[in-house]
Amino acid sequence: MSPNRVRRASRDLAKKQLELLGTVTGVQSAVLFSADGFEIASHAADTAAASRLAAIGSSLAALGSAISAEAGLHEFERTTIESKNGTVTIMRVDNDQAMSLAVVAGRTAVLGQLLWATRHCCQALARLIHE
Amino acid sequence: MSTVDDGEFKIVFTGPMGAGKTTAIAAVSEVAPVATEVANSDLIAHTKASTTVGLDFGRITLASGQIVHLYGTPGQARFRFMWDILGRGAAGVIVLLDATQAGALVQMDMFVDAFLPLVPSGALVIGLGRTTLPGALGSEAFAARLGARGITAPVFSIDARQSRDVFLLVRTLACILEAQANAEAAA
Repeated sequence: MSPNRVRRASRDLAKKQLELLGTVTGVQSAVLFSADGFEIASHAADTAAASRLAAIGSSLAALGSAISAEAGLHEFERTTIESKNGTVTIMRVDNDQAMSLAVVAGRTAVLGQLLWATRHCCQALARLIHE
Repeated sequence: MSTVDDGEFKIVFTGPMGAGKTTAIAAVSEVAPVATEVANSDLIAHTKASTTVGLDFGRITLASGQIVHLYGTPGQARFRFMWDILGRGAAGVIVLLDATQAGALVQMDMFVDAFLPLVPSGALVIGLGRTTLPGALGSEAFAARLGARGITAPVFSIDARQSRDVFLLVRTLACILEAQANAEAAA
């Protein structure tokens, strides 16, 4: 899905979903991006940061798909980078792998809650963007 | 880090979007190549259907017995962080360019400037694609551009789909590295 083909109204709705995700404990920022690394919508990330997260996120999602395929597993679902001061989760939004969501969270986040909320957000995003 | 002396080393294929990096690695790799291609939504940058956003990986064994790991980079500048990751530890760099692109000379400068600092050997080979098409720049223009900047590198006209052409680039790079190793041994 080209970010250019996502309607302005859908982008605004996507931004609202990301804002909702922003209310989850520990979430610092979130960026929805195309498979080839373009930002579609973001929350609490400035333009430059959102662009970089989108590009790096798309590489990670592509590497996730490559290693899943290499291991003979099914399609890539998500990857979580755990660092000293928090986590970054990259989760695919839709079945055709056209979009993924990157969520940055600090140490106060509870991983299970974070993953559940991110999954919930991805499902909502998939519905509104394909409407 | 592996070195040329160990008989196993890494080289990087880089260059702009659509230059043939993924194709070149697939053309020569003796193992099933790893690719990270996704749908291309940036049709202004290039009209092709898919684009690499992570890395390409392949492997070949040269007649000398040396094993060469081939890494391909994404072409767009927004993936520059991958250039730095992939360039680190590389023995040499192959820059692929589309000779019909108006900005091919500037693109060459950009990739050479991005990768040479990452590669201590400075070993560089340029592969020009689509040189037989109308409007293509000749290889002399690229050689002159490098020469004016004090950079010595062989420039070849290639078809990235042809394994013999891609082998030529890799073998040339291996020869440059071998010549450097011999010069160091003699010094």
